[in-house]
Amino acid sequence: MFSKITALGLTRRTFLKSTAATAAAAGLPSMALAAGEPIKIGFLAPLTGAVAAWGKPGLDGCEIWAERVNAAGGIQLADGKHMVEFISYDNEYDPAKARTGATKMIREDGVSFVMMLGGDTWPGVQPVADKTGMLFSTLLPSDLSPDSTTLIAPAEVHPIYNVTGVQWLAENKPELKTAVMCAQDDALGLPSVATYLAAFEAAGIEMQDEPLLFDPATTDFAPVVTRLISGDPDIVCLDTCYSDYVHPICEQLFQQGFTGQIISCTADFYDQMIAKTSKEFMEGFIFQFPDFDDPALNGDNINFEDPNGFYAEYNARHPGQWGAVSWEYAAIMDLWKAAAEKAGSADPDAVVTAMKDGGTGKHAFGDAQWWGTELFGIDNALVGDWPVVAIEDGKAVIKGFKSIPDWYEKHGDLLIKHMKAYDQMWNQRG
Amino acid sequence: MLDLVAQTSLNAIYAASYISLIAVGLVLIFGVMGVINFAHGELYMAGSYAVVAVYADWQMPFFVAVVAGMVFVGMLGLLMERGLFRPLRDNPLGGLVASIGFLMILQALATLGFGVRMEHIPPVTQEIISFSDKVRLPMSRLYVIVAAVVLLSALWYFLKRTRFGWALRASAQDPEAAELQGISIAQTARIAMFIGAGLAGIAGALTAPLVSVNPHMGHTVIVTAFIVIIVGGVGSLEGAVIASVVYAFVHTFVTTFFDGVVADITGLSLMLLVLIIKPTGLFGSADRA
Repeated sequence: MFSKITALGLTRRTFLKSTAATAAAAGLPSMALAAGEPIKIGFLAPLTGAVAAWGKPGLDGCEIWAERVNAAGGIQLADGKHMVEFISYDNEYDPAKARTGATKMIREDGVSFVMMLGGDTWPGVQPVADKTGMLFSTLLPSDLSPDSTTLIAPAEVHPIYNVTGVQWLAENKPELKTAVMCAQDDALGLPSVATYLAAFEAAGIEMQDEPLLFDPATTDFAPVVTRLISGDPDIVCLDTCYSDYVHPICEQLFQQGFTGQIISCTADFYDQMIAKTSKEFMEGFIFQFPDFDDPALNGDNINFEDPNGFYAEYNARHPGQWGAVSWEYAAIMDLWKAAAEKAGSADPDAVVTAMKDGGTGKHAFGDAQWWGTELFGIDNALVGDWPVVAIEDGKAVIKGFKSIPDWYEKHGDLLIKHMKAYDQMWNQRG
Repeated sequence: MLDLVAQTSLNAIYAASYISLIAVGLVLIFGVMGVINFAHGELYMAGSYAVVAVYADWQMPFFVAVVAGMVFVGMLGLLMERGLFRPLRDNPLGGLVASIGFLMILQALATLGFGVRMEHIPPVTQEIISFSDKVRLPMSRLYVIVAAVVLLSALWYFLKRTRFGWALRASAQDPEAAELQGISIAQTARIAMFIGAGLAGIAGALTAPLVSVNPHMGHTVIVTAFIVIIVGGVGSLEGAVIASVVYAFVHTFVTTFFDGVVADITGLSLMLLVLIIKPTGLFGSADRA
């Protein structure tokens, strides 16, 4: 058995560490997999409610991922191959429901790994993670802290990658000198505000005004937009607004006659935005999440298997539903699968140890490094390149990949300054 | 600066229009039935989904969808009156709890029928009235303003100038005396529910292309409507309209000149101020439907 594991690349020290940790977590029921038993993965995200757009499409993507993996024989662990199965729980973006879901998945379903959107729901789950030692992932690394060593952010370094869009604008459209920004006043919006402020400052783009914060319950965005464009800014930045906000804000920008540059973290269902405005109005809209039929994703640097085929399959099953997270949870599973196969085990500690071995990892958009001590207090975020996407002739097109660590090396002090100003450093969050 | 004030005023007039449609319906139901209808926001949501079904999915003309939305939600109001409020007529708290249950049912039905995601509704028109480069009023917003003016004027005429309207007001002021005069309380309740719900429905239908239509969209609306009817005076239709205008202007101007979070705090502070100075609301003691 031991030789089998070492043959898979584990050192004796790692093996002992892993087994010791496993023994410590012996309170976990159903953790050990019987030979041939399916590996269960928890999907704990909002499937209904206002934030469902960042949960449900991810589950749909995972189902496709599981079918592909199972069709290829499953996941190879030390004791043989295992099929993979997703157990989903709708946390409705509610911390209490997320906690209930996490407990159920671990205690009753016997999951080996739990994927979350994170954000407001993580504080509800954190005690469960700490108590059980279960490995969790989040799409929002602002959840990371040294207190939770089994929480990782292996797909998305929100909101840090937003710097790449601003950097691309500064390099390619140097005539843009002024910007304004609006954001919902919540745990998702504020760290993104700090990031964009740092990115604009680093790019030498002047903020015309303080970021305009709005209540997440806002439904009429006309007053917000009137204020935003009152000073004729070159750039309107939509921060990381939910799609329920991005659409009406863009429609208002169109109706109130804005003709400048728009930059946003996401542009989910951008075809609908074009339908509500015009192709000309949306031309050049910059955001951060590509369609996976983009030829730029076929390069050797990409670690997501058959992105074009995945996108085609997704759209065939869920027409018009492709969004920012459709691929992200599946990309996390690629990492998890590789780590589990390397460790020869689905045990959470063994997997995370294998995943972080050497301090690098294969992120969907290229080789990346485990990073984050300065910002999150722990190196549990996988950071590398991130694409900058523009809408051209009604279609999302990758304009290039930018390195987040390179930007941070030059301008990290600005990011920390603005994060501190918005109380978003890991040791400032409540 | 003048342009900014003018554009903000147009934004506020639009907000006042749809808020007053919702608030007046809520007040009418409370005035006649004595029930605080917590499901009123979901009636607004149902009006929006009627437009999703009839206009976006079945591709019928927008104004057909709006009328369908008003009638459909009016019928929902009748269903609530017959199924919930009439059996609980002597139990105001029971009516309130029943309306909370009904709102959950409506949310669940919307989720089952249409899913959880924001619905895409094609624009009705992209025509814009331009007063200047920076002062613009989209035609779709003008529809809401015109509808509010016409419908609220018609309601005022109905209540003040017709026999049904007198009967409705009499039932609201003193149900027992009205019944002794031969007025059917059940019939006036049905009329009030149909009109009140229908106003919420048409507000939802008209604004559907302008907002994010989702099963939870009624929540924000009902909170705003409650603030407005408390400021205006619970039971006062005139108060609801005036408070809608005051609230919409305050909220819109504060959002534009400060930010949305400060605007929410200001709106709630306005309500608290009115409650401290005049606990019955601006028109609470003077008028009642």
